[in-house]
Amino acid sequence: MNALIRIAHLVASGTEPPHQDSQGITTSSWIWPERAELIYGIAASLIIFALLVKFAGPAMKKGMAARTARIQKELDDAAGDKASAATEAADIRQAKGDIGAERERLLAEAAAQAEAMLADGRSRLETEVAEMKARAIADIETAKGRSADELRGEIARLSASAAERAVAESIDGATHQDLIEAFIQKVGASA
Amino acid sequence: MSDARIEGYARALFEIARAEGSLDEVEDELFRFARSYEGSEALRSALTDDMIPAAKRQAIVEDLLGGKATSTTTQLVSMVVGTGRGRDLPAIIDQLVQRASSAKNLEVAEVRSAVALTSEQQIRLAAALANATGKQVNLKVVVDPSVLGGIVATVGDTVIDGSVRTRLDQLKARL
Repeated sequence: MNALIRIAHLVASGTEPPHQDSQGITTSSWIWPERAELIYGIAASLIIFALLVKFAGPAMKKGMAARTARIQKELDDAAGDKASAATEAADIRQAKGDIGAERERLLAEAAAQAEAMLADGRSRLETEVAEMKARAIADIETAKGRSADELRGEIARLSASAAERAVAESIDGATHQDLIEAFIQKVGASA
Repeated sequence: MSDARIEGYARALFEIARAEGSLDEVEDELFRFARSYEGSEALRSALTDDMIPAAKRQAIVEDLLGGKATSTTTQLVSMVVGTGRGRDLPAIIDQLVQRASSAKNLEVAEVRSAVALTSEQQIRLAAALANATGKQVNLKVVVDPSVLGGIVATVGDTVIDGSVRTRLDQLKARL
């Protein structure tokens, strides 16, 4: 409130009223220092600034340059990392591509093998079926032949048996004597 | 039984029969007994069964031959059976017949016929076989119904087959 009053007085009169602080000290302005104090202060500031520029400037410049270099280095490193990441990404992509190609090759190979096995199995099955068929035909022929042979054998056996029975029944005492006499004569004449 | 043992028994039987002076008769009887023995499974079983005591086996022989053969023949067969050599009886007897025939310079002629031959037929047959083989023969006739008809004569290794059985077998083979 006090500050607003002072600003209004300054605007109305064009001059600033003297100022007194809480300890009772009066100054020519409530904000500005005394003129001499202002001059000494500015001069001291300029000297300090010049000294800073002269002595701290190179160090600061050097530090800034080092910082710049460090940042540049970090940027370069980042660029390098980015490049190697890109290379790695390319490698990964290539590897991924290789894996895909290998997968395709393996799948193609497996498909080819399966096809070959299927064809082989089909061929073997056809051969086996043909062999079984041929064997079955041969067995049937053998069985037919065997049956015919067995029948012939049975007929021969029955015929021989019947002949033996007929002969045995037909040989009477006289026939026995005739056979014996015929044998004696035949042996006697064979000398 | 080994050949030497068969030969030994045959020689012993031969010497006993000769000593008794009935070699021809004993030889003939033994030969016929051997053929009957070969043809009868029951007789073979009875005379070769080790479970039957020797005395009982000998009693069977004496029952079979008693009154039908000379006592020498009966005693000889009984002895062989009693010593447990029943299985070799035919071989021993064949060896004895062979030995007896050799002693007389004769060849054994085994003749198989379906019916018995008369003495006259046997004499003519012996002469015919001697004529055919060039050897004097000691004829041994075996009545064998399986021959059916005709005769089969075996002299040494020579077989002269005029049997109906062989003709039927040939017919069977052709069929």
